Amino acid sequence: MGVLADVYEMLNTCNKCGGCHTACKTYKLTGLETMVARGRIQLIKAVADGKLEPNQEYEDAIMSCLLCGECAVTCPNGVHGNELVMAARRDLKLRKGITPFAKSFALKTLASPKRLGMGFRLFGGVGKSVLNKLDGMDYFRGIDIRNFPTAKKQFLEQVPERIKVQNPKHKVGFYVGCFLNYSLDQTAHSVVKVLTKNDCEVIIPKDQVCCGLPQYCYGDFETAKSNARQTINTFLDKYSDAEVVLSACASCASMLKHDYLKLFADEPSYLPKVKLFCEKVVEFSEYMDKIGVNQSELHNSSPLTVTYHDPCHMVRGLKVTKQPRQLLQMIPRVEYKEMFEANRCCGAAGLVQAFFHEVSTDITDQKTQNIKDTNADLVATSCPACMLRLQGGINKAGQKQKVMHVADLMAKAYED
Amino acid sequence: MLSQTVVKRLKEIVGEKNVVTDKVGLLTYGYDGTLLSGEALGVVSPTTTDQVVEIVKLMNEHDIKLVPRGAGTNESGGTIPSQEAIVISFTKMTKIHEIDTENFVAVVEPGVINFDLQVELAKQNFYFPPDPSSFKASTIGGNLGECSGGPKCFKYGVTRDYMLGLEVVLPNGKVIQTGGRNFQSEPGYDLTRIIVGSEGILGLVTKVFVRILPIPRAKKTMLALYDKVEDASQTVADIVAAGIIPTTLELMDNLLINTTEDFTHAGLPRDAGAVLIIEVDGYPEDMDEQVKTIGEIASKIAKEFKVAQTAVEVDQIWTSRRSAFGSVARVRPSYGVNDITVPRSNFPKAIGGVLKVAKDFGVTIGVVAHAGDGNLHPLILFDQRNKEETETVHKAEQALCMMALDLEGTISGEHGIGLVKKKYLDKEFTPAAMEAFRKIKRSFDPTNRFNPGKIIDL
Ligand SMILES: Cc1cc2nc3c(=O)[nH]c(=O)nc-3n(C[C@H](O)[C@H](O)[C@H](O)COP(=O)(O)OP(=O)(O)OC[C@H]3O[C@@H](n4cnc5c(N)ncnc54)[C@H](O)[C@@H]3O)c2cc1C
Ligand code: SF4
Ligand code: SF4
Ligand code: SF4
Repeated sequence: MGVLADVYEMLNTCNKCGGCHTACKTYKLTGLETMVARGRIQLIKAVADGKLEPNQEYEDAIMSCLLCGECAVTCPNGVHGNELVMAARRDLKLRKGITPFAKSFALKTLASPKRLGMGFRLFGGVGKSVLNKLDGMDYFRGIDIRNFPTAKKQFLEQVPERIKVQNPKHKVGFYVGCFLNYSLDQTAHSVVKVLTKNDCEVIIPKDQVCCGLPQYCYGDFETAKSNARQTINTFLDKYSDAEVVLSACASCASMLKHDYLKLFADEPSYLPKVKLFCEKVVEFSEYMDKIGVNQSELHNSSPLTVTYHDPCHMVRGLKVTKQPRQLLQMIPRVEYKEMFEANRCCGAAGLVQAFFHEVSTDITDQKTQNIKDTNADLVATSCPACMLRLQGGINKAGQKQKVMHVADLMAKAYED
Repeated sequence: MLSQTVVKRLKEIVGEKNVVTDKVGLLTYGYDGTLLSGEALGVVSPTTTDQVVEIVKLMNEHDIKLVPRGAGTNESGGTIPSQEAIVISFTKMTKIHEIDTENFVAVVEPGVINFDLQVELAKQNFYFPPDPSSFKASTIGGNLGECSGGPKCFKYGVTRDYMLGLEVVLPNGKVIQTGGRNFQSEPGYDLTRIIVGSEGILGLVTKVFVRILPIPRAKKTMLALYDKVEDASQTVADIVAAGIIPTTLELMDNLLINTTEDFTHAGLPRDAGAVLIIEVDGYPEDMDEQVKTIGEIASKIAKEFKVAQTAVEVDQIWTSRRSAFGSVARVRPSYGVNDITVPRSNFPKAIGGVLKVAKDFGVTIGVVAHAGDGNLHPLILFDQRNKEETETVHKAEQALCMMALDLEGTISGEHGIGLVKKKYLDKEFTPAAMEAFRKIKRSFDPTNRFNPGKIIDL
């Protein structure tokens, strides 16, 4: 019971006050006590106490959590529901020997190669061609698969390892991440464009791998660790001249910056190196704001109304909210409009969108409506997972807004 | 276990998704804001009055009891189920039928969350005065079930004062409507007032006519800081004696200042013995005068008195106050909330009494109080896993109740009796009064079907 024993004091600190009821979207939209931080925590505690044997319903309660972290910021007792859920997922993995979802994955997904492709796509993995062959299916459980972008060639294969500039002021290590590598390669190019326009030499190691977040979220710490180790070693040993490790995916950045420390907490000999790495990690908007953006070359010919969605990992993970908004407003003729509940989860939440699609879809529908209410032409955000989810929701609702990464908007302004 | 037939019928009535019978589901409907828990036979979430009626009839046929539940945040064990009952959860009856600003009435379903109603009302510049600190989670049905109070109650009264009428499903499955949208009292008994605060033992409320008010044009929020909690209680008595009625007069002691600071970082001084949060509202032109008078009274004893200057400051102060209950698990994992209430003029004596109980029993007590109402929530902090300590806490709680009764007060101001305070009820009421309660319960619910075992044993 090691994993749960480690978090037992926190489990026991939840005094069932219900403060997380408004925070937790999965509760708001289902009204089910199994789908709120309080309920999840009480269930985990029951398992820790030996009063409940994990079963399918328990797994559903644990797996349907968005890990959005809203409950953690709302809880007056400082209980972090998302972390407790992570512990429960880890516990499930250790108990069963296989990653939770693996069973349902096997049963529900392996049965269909199409869906398997979908699943891999979600993780930015392989199986690209499967998608293009899909007939008669536009939305898979609320996910807009027809418009799901696929990079013709991995971004990492499209660019050289070093992109030089004339008078380099900074040397930036670019951690690309699966989504930008396999799916939204255009956004990765945008990041490079913005960096080079601001006198940054960009270093893009070819042997970078997935940050390990998906595995970590579903309790597979072993794979997560091995990926993390490779990422750390690559950037620190082979490309030690990179001053920072920059990521334009809020989820990856928050994993690299915060979760790696937790992941290696039990390896004191390696931990100092992890710390060194974590200190180098910086998110795109945060970095651009820090080095000061070359504004004179930003152009924009037609007026544009833009709103911004705060990805969970950006607002609650990295706690970066002002910088992307400031960058957007630096672009000439951009009118910025704040949307209602900009900082609430978009509903993607890794595999939750595939396995608990009803609640996911409800969350996304709310978001889409909030976007519509701003009358914005464009939604900017900082997480590729959110970009895909939001664009899917918008298309499904028959709205017209385009979703772009902050870097995309800036890159475009540098081209204009 | 529920029989297959009952489960099947329930699913026919409310739909497959709205019936829970698995262990995991049952576990999550077995607790509330207290340390108690239980396990029901099932959980059913109706979405219409007709469904509620059908459920009640079905349960009558099969001799199964019903425990009504809103958000399950009550502090009295009022929703703890047992193996003879199903939980009827109102969290899916969340429609706001109507907001009628001309007649100051809103018509809502019982599962509407207090906060959600406030948000809708605010769009039309109105509000619903009862605002328990749990308002972001608790439902209108639960608020009326417990007759909840809140920080605004000093001036505006409690939930009862805002209930114009109810639609109620009785234990025999018949539907009645009490009161209505009119402000004048209806002919006959005031059934609304009997149902409000009855903790779900008399009827299931399926529709609520609530009184709403326009948002006051102006308000001012003040803070008075004290070295000792006794000093703060004196200011409370002085303000009341001067005939001033602020909207809010809330007190938090040093322990609560610190636990809430850990959460909110609102900047309350951690070394202060106590803080009073004072708020006045009304017309803009009256504000300065009221603030001045209160400032003069408070400054006689307070070590510092200040008026919040910005909306952000006001917000932070309120977040602190509202998270008070919630935040104490930072100190010890378990807490017992007491809800004693004394006549306002006895408030300083009650504070003295709480300090004495803490000392006599050697327990940690944090105090938060709706001081203006004489309503105190001494929170006894402990660890439920320690049996001996838990015993002492029970004794200390009893001492607090007795102390309140000695000061002509009551054992419960706003949290209700439920299971937790049941054993003290006959200390407050005479046998004749207790019998009157029983008679009322029996006349509504002769076979003890609704929320059995709560408030009184038959
Ligand atoms: C952090 C915290 C702060 C709190 N602050 C306050 C406060 O400031 N003031 C205050 O008064 N209380 C406070 N409370 C107590 C609690 O929140 C209130 O009693 C609240 O009104 C309960 O609402 P609920 O929706 O959670 O109801 P529940 O707890 O679900 O139910 C309360 C009672 O109402 C009955 N009931 C619910 N719905 C119906 C229905 N439709 N028909 C008939 N009966 C029904 C239930 O059977 C039960 O007896 C606080 C609690 C917490 C945890
Ligand atoms: S997680 Fe925090 S906010 Fe939610 S019920 Fe527990 S203590 Fe309250
Ligand atoms: S992390 Fe998000 S979805 Fe999960 S319990 Fe907390 S608020 Fe709910
Ligand atoms: S997709 Fe974006 S908003 Fe949704 S959970 Fe992930 S980071 Fe949060």
